[in-house]
Amino acid sequence: MSVPSSRKITQILRAELDKLVTLPLTWLTLIVTFILNLLLAAAFTSAGLQGAAGTQSILKIGLASMGYLQAGFIILGILATCSEYTGGQIRTTLTTVPWRGLQLSTKYLALAIITIPAAFIIAASGVLYAFIRMRDTAVVIEIDTMIKTLVGATGYLTLTTLLSAAIGALLRRTTPAIVVLLSYYFIVSPLSRDFLPSIKNYFPDTAGYYMYMPPSSDEINVLTPMQGTGISMLWTLIFITVAIVFYRKRDA
Amino acid sequence: MRAFNAELSKLFSLPGIWLAFLIGAFAPVFIASMDSIAQKEEIIAGVSTRLPEVGYIGLALGVQGVIILGVLAVSSEYLAESSESGGGQQITTSLTVVSSRLHFLLAKAGAVTVISILLSVVAIITTLSATHLVLGEYTPAFDWLKLIGAVLYWTFTALLAFGITVLTKNGIIPLAVLIINTSVVSFSFLLSKVTKLALYLPDRAGAEMFMFTSDRFLTPFTGGLVMFAWVVVLFIAAAIVFHRRDVAS
Repeated sequence: MSVPSSRKITQILRAELDKLVTLPLTWLTLIVTFILNLLLAAAFTSAGLQGAAGTQSILKIGLASMGYLQAGFIILGILATCSEYTGGQIRTTLTTVPWRGLQLSTKYLALAIITIPAAFIIAASGVLYAFIRMRDTAVVIEIDTMIKTLVGATGYLTLTTLLSAAIGALLRRTTPAIVVLLSYYFIVSPLSRDFLPSIKNYFPDTAGYYMYMPPSSDEINVLTPMQGTGISMLWTLIFITVAIVFYRKRDA
Repeated sequence: MRAFNAELSKLFSLPGIWLAFLIGAFAPVFIASMDSIAQKEEIIAGVSTRLPEVGYIGLALGVQGVIILGVLAVSSEYLAESSESGGGQQITTSLTVVSSRLHFLLAKAGAVTVISILLSVVAIITTLSATHLVLGEYTPAFDWLKLIGAVLYWTFTALLAFGITVLTKNGIIPLAVLIINTSVVSFSFLLSKVTKLALYLPDRAGAEMFMFTSDRFLTPFTGGLVMFAWVVVLFIAAAIVFHRRDVAS
């Protein structure tokens, strides 16, 4: 191939972005996540408003729906990689882009490009809703803490999406990937917090939790946001590397 | 009867069904024994507040196996083959062979029911023996009515998953919603903070059959009845929609 390599990467990136953007389920997932997040934020806010005035934290209530919100992003990540395998699209992809490692890495990049703004908007909408409803009663928050927390939440959601995409690329089937990831994030992980308190901070989701949770005095914060970011980034990178290695070795 | 056998054979040959069996048979044991180990000291000291829930928590959280079963049973019919092998859907073949749509749906629901009953019995046997193994003489006595409640809970959950998937035709949405909802903090639990009506949602009402001895809202029998009503309503809706819908759409 005589295409210069920088142009090659741009072309692959554009192709991957095109594939993601034209996938109807991408938009459906994002829109449904957005709406559900607002509904959950409304529920949490009205529950929070019943508490004593002046004690609630807007950030905490606005981000209380994060636990559920991540499901949408897990599905997004899985869809991005598994949709290649549902109709043999993968063979067309690999015919036009025969460099497997490069192709999969660009796919993650494209996914991150879509996820970052979406995650930011969705996380911010929850906080904004809580802010509007609780302006008068809650503790005043500074704008830079809010931005820091939102950046952390966006980073966490993006890392979760990439991790799910890596698992999707490993398993190559939508249903098992969804079952495995959702049951990890929603069943195994909450339970393991009680059973294995010593190592719980090193799991991808509990480490990521420290990326966006505002430090408070009544909880013992074992990890700083930076440590949390480092650990969950490490998990994501490990899974991405494994996915790429398998992708290069395996028969498509 | 032949349609029922065919449905059983289709279910057993599904590529994703091993996951349903694996989770259905092993997740409850795993969760129950972890929970028993974590609580062992409190139980021996006699201060455990969750004694009646020992073991059952595994059964409550392990329903995912049958959720996968119910969802896959329908979503596999609608999964389009790859374009290299014609891009067809299994549902067209199935309805060519069993042309009565109601019979088809009943046969499929029957197959799902039978498998989920079997799976729940397996799960109960393994969970009970695991709890006995961990707790020894401190194991609370298991109540037959509650165990039957657990079997019913699993079966109804499988049928709910089945009905929802008939309506959505796509496995992703019901899987996501139902799996998240079996988690420790479920949607219905959150909603019940807002309105008491949420306690009538199927998962919460059904769990009354064998969980929640401390803050009971419905009796086990009414709980089961409420969940059964949900199943019936959903099944009727699914049957009407399925009967009127164009297969190709």
